[in-house]
Amino acid sequence: MSEEREKVEEVRTAFLNEFDRFRDLDLSTATLASADEVSRELAELKVRHTGKKSAIAGTMKLIGRVAPEERSAFGQLVQSVEKDIVSMIEAAEAKLSEFISDARIERERLDVTLPGRRPRTGHLHLITILRQRIEDIFVSMGYHIEDDREIETDYYNFDALNIPDGHPARESQDTFYTTDGFALRSQTSTVQIRAMERRGVPIRIIAPGKVFRRDTPDMTHVPMFHQIEGLCVDKDITMAHLKGTVTEWLQRLFGSDTVTRFRPSYFPFTEPSAEFDFSCFKCRGTGQFEGERCRPCKGSGWIELGGSGMVHPNVLRAVGVDPGVYSGFAFGFGLERMCAMMYSLDDIRLMFDNDVRFLEQFR
Amino acid sequence: MNISYNWLKDLIDLKGNAEEVARQLTRVGLAVEGIHPHGDDLVLDIDLTSNRPDCLSHLGIARELSVYTGSPVKVLTEDVPDVPMPAVLAGDIVRIDAPDICHRFTARIVRNVKIGPSPKWLVDRLEAIGERSINNVADITNYVMHELGQPMHSFDLDKLEGGRIVVRRAAAGETITTLDEVERNLDDSMLMICDAVKPAAIGGIMGGLNSSITDDTVNVLLEVAFFKRESIRSTSRKLNLTTEASYRFERGVDIDNLVRASDRAVRLICELAGGVADDLIDVYPSVHRAGRVVSNDISAAVKRLTGLTVSTDECDRILESLGITAETGEEGEKSYLSPTWRHDIAIEEDLVEEVARHTGYENIGVELPPAFGAGEYQHNEPREKRLRQTLVDQGFDEAISYSFIDTRFDGMFDAVPGLLIHGGGDRFVTLNDSVIEGAVRMRHSILPGLLDAVRLNLNFQRRDVRLFELGKAFAAVGDGEPPNEQELFALVVTGGEVHQDRAMTTRELDFYDAKGAVEAAMAAVGVTDLSFRAADVQHLRRGQAASIAVSGEIVGSLGRLSDNIAAGYKFKQPVYIAEINLQMVLGSAAKTPVYRPLPKFPGITRDVSFIAGRDAAYTSMRDAILSQGSDLIKAVDFVDVYEGKGLSEGERSITIRIEYRSDDRTLVDSEIDGLHLQVLSEIERKTRARPRF
Ligand SMILES: [Zn+2]
Repeated sequence: MSEEREKVEEVRTAFLNEFDRFRDLDLSTATLASADEVSRELAELKVRHTGKKSAIAGTMKLIGRVAPEERSAFGQLVQSVEKDIVSMIEAAEAKLSEFISDARIERERLDVTLPGRRPRTGHLHLITILRQRIEDIFVSMGYHIEDDREIETDYYNFDALNIPDGHPARESQDTFYTTDGFALRSQTSTVQIRAMERRGVPIRIIAPGKVFRRDTPDMTHVPMFHQIEGLCVDKDITMAHLKGTVTEWLQRLFGSDTVTRFRPSYFPFTEPSAEFDFSCFKCRGTGQFEGERCRPCKGSGWIELGGSGMVHPNVLRAVGVDPGVYSGFAFGFGLERMCAMMYSLDDIRLMFDNDVRFLEQFR
Repeated sequence: MNISYNWLKDLIDLKGNAEEVARQLTRVGLAVEGIHPHGDDLVLDIDLTSNRPDCLSHLGIARELSVYTGSPVKVLTEDVPDVPMPAVLAGDIVRIDAPDICHRFTARIVRNVKIGPSPKWLVDRLEAIGERSINNVADITNYVMHELGQPMHSFDLDKLEGGRIVVRRAAAGETITTLDEVERNLDDSMLMICDAVKPAAIGGIMGGLNSSITDDTVNVLLEVAFFKRESIRSTSRKLNLTTEASYRFERGVDIDNLVRASDRAVRLICELAGGVADDLIDVYPSVHRAGRVVSNDISAAVKRLTGLTVSTDECDRILESLGITAETGEEGEKSYLSPTWRHDIAIEEDLVEEVARHTGYENIGVELPPAFGAGEYQHNEPREKRLRQTLVDQGFDEAISYSFIDTRFDGMFDAVPGLLIHGGGDRFVTLNDSVIEGAVRMRHSILPGLLDAVRLNLNFQRRDVRLFELGKAFAAVGDGEPPNEQELFALVVTGGEVHQDRAMTTRELDFYDAKGAVEAAMAAVGVTDLSFRAADVQHLRRGQAASIAVSGEIVGSLGRLSDNIAAGYKFKQPVYIAEINLQMVLGSAAKTPVYRPLPKFPGITRDVSFIAGRDAAYTSMRDAILSQGSDLIKAVDFVDVYEGKGLSEGERSITIRIEYRSDDRTLVDSEIDGLHLQVLSEIERKTRARPRF
């Protein structure tokens, strides 16, 4: 039987010689390409040294020449050699395939910080953004949104608003006139009149829209801007309702700790009249922000926003409403000024330049 | 307006320091904007509303404070001598020929005065409130104006011809050289204070140079008068001349305060400049009657309008402190007399405001009105909101441009349909004048604004720009009718396709990007029947212009900006624009989708290519297919267009996909072969395009 054993040993030695370069495979300097090459060579070696047609499988045929009592031992020898071969190859394969799959993953490693792929999104105009937010608040408070003509007759722009001919507010050089005698509305209060004519009373509306004043454009003035006018007329409406309403929407916009302040003032279309301020949204009324004088409120803690008051009885009479039965409040404020304060804009003209570098800062 | 704290203390006993006084004033609507030191004095800078000319003096401010302090204003408790010169004698010196605009005129002659510098206390007082000292007599008139609110003027009596005053309107062609050494042309609406011959002062506005006080003046005539507000305002506007005096007269002074003011000034002149005063001349043709405001229950009125609970006694106390006295008529009717210095107390609501502001707005409650019902957006707002959002999602920024534009845009842009309702040419709405050079036209179109914006952005190296705007355009209607206002929607597209946070654009935008945006916008507002047709539009380049129609009605245009206009802007890259009359589009209700059952059987799609000239439109091929009216033709879609190699110049190949499908069975090719051939020959017949195999 020694002859047969020798044959088996020869096969083993031949394998070990060939396999030598795959033993303790050093992949430290390998690349994916070289590993693939080694892997291919190992596969060839595996084909030759394993399976039914391999040399070691061939040695099993020698079992007929072995004495019967030694056949079992010979069989075990062949099987153990075969098992060694397979396990050595598989070990090398495992090592290689781990390396290859690691290398592949590594090769497909991404820079996750590169920007995502999407078309540029545009931006609503700052005025639209603020108008929509305020409209949402008032609609939820039961108000209808109204607008109307931008070029008006003197009747709607002045007379019906208790600004008769000869009134200083009318003669002031604020109003644009067309050559055929119409006025560019100088306040959205005109919509009060139009809306009450249309809807009658009781009424609850806000009227956002463009208004025009003959101001030469500079850092703080523009000849066209946007106003929001509010009007509530019903039985038993008092100034307390005015204060409550203005406070409510400002709190919804700027937070529930916002407080308001009303100061006596004068407007032809309201009596009594008041200007209203609210506690600064930035410093929360303290006047100081991060240890410095707060910018939006100039350190006062208050932001002056608009005018308001109880609708003048002459305005109610102008639309056929009996001021003895109904009363109401109105308020108004400018959106550009509000935006300028909210975003610390130092030049209000930017609003109408349509400079994309400006527009894309807001959404 | 500047108010001296020390001066104020001369007039009224104050509670608290200057800060406290400032707080009290601000609280009642006389906003103190700042307190500035001046020597040992403090100066309050007060921002007054236009309805309170009575507060343009220390007296007026003291009166407001007296409601709070409860102490009277001292000068008002002093007696004023009221024994004027008999009218017979006075008439030789002062005559009013225009009593409709000069309601009262007082004069007082002070003889043997010595003009010289003012004493230090007077100079200090004036400087504290920002006034410059001139000489003792001029300073005294200025001082009394700031103290009592009454403007006055001093003449050199010896320079008045005839030594007398005639108050009359200017004669046409008359002129006067005023104190500022400007010669002014007068007209017959202007009130003049004249001597026997010529104008010596523009009444209530400014004195004349020839009759003014100089260092040599010995005899002074002091005028203290009351003029009709409207007259002063009109003359001041016409002459473009505003003075401290005209400012007060045109807002209204106190006709009952004239004698007190005159007396105060004369006493000071005698005291500081020497001299002896003649009797007061007071010409007061028709005596002023105080206004009367009926209010039977002021407490209830206050409650009704402000929610404040203020007793009748307290209301009356506040009003009384302000000089508004209650009176009960014979039949028990209660009314309040409007004081002569208050021109703003005419109705009960005015009284309510007085009570409310002195009770304090901070004491008014804070409550919401009773619930009313659901709120509602403007009818078109939800659709406009979707339109805006859709464009924003497509990369457009929203622009807002001025509604007035330059005349250089006249006739440059075709107006959208529905704007020029009378058709007849350009009916611009034009402003009398503008504050922006040249911008006197109310816009016919939003496009000039958007193109200006494109230029601005290009100048700032932003060459990839997509903007849209919603807003009104205007056209005159004529016949005294207000202008036609239409809500438009416009967009502009230029440069390349930008990706967020990426520096490189992927490709240049073209006509179809602008068109796609229009389609998306119209879909967003619920338009389903949108169509485009080649059109000639003045401001668009020939061959790249389309009309836009909704349900067959033209609503706007789309295309590439004409070379002409582009050259004017120095645009070196193509610019695509569209403008639509949005109001017309939104005039019809949004279409609600109709459900169609999902297909149960597979269909067959066939792509066909046609070679055609540039004049054969894709839509005419599509229409030719659909005109077959076959139930089996379920969809026609555009696949691709090709021009160039293999085709001759002016030709292009259009590929169209047709989907055939039956609702009740699976189609086999042989079933549609015939129909398909029919389709092909129909396209060929109608469009002269030839199939390409
Ligand atoms: Zn602040």
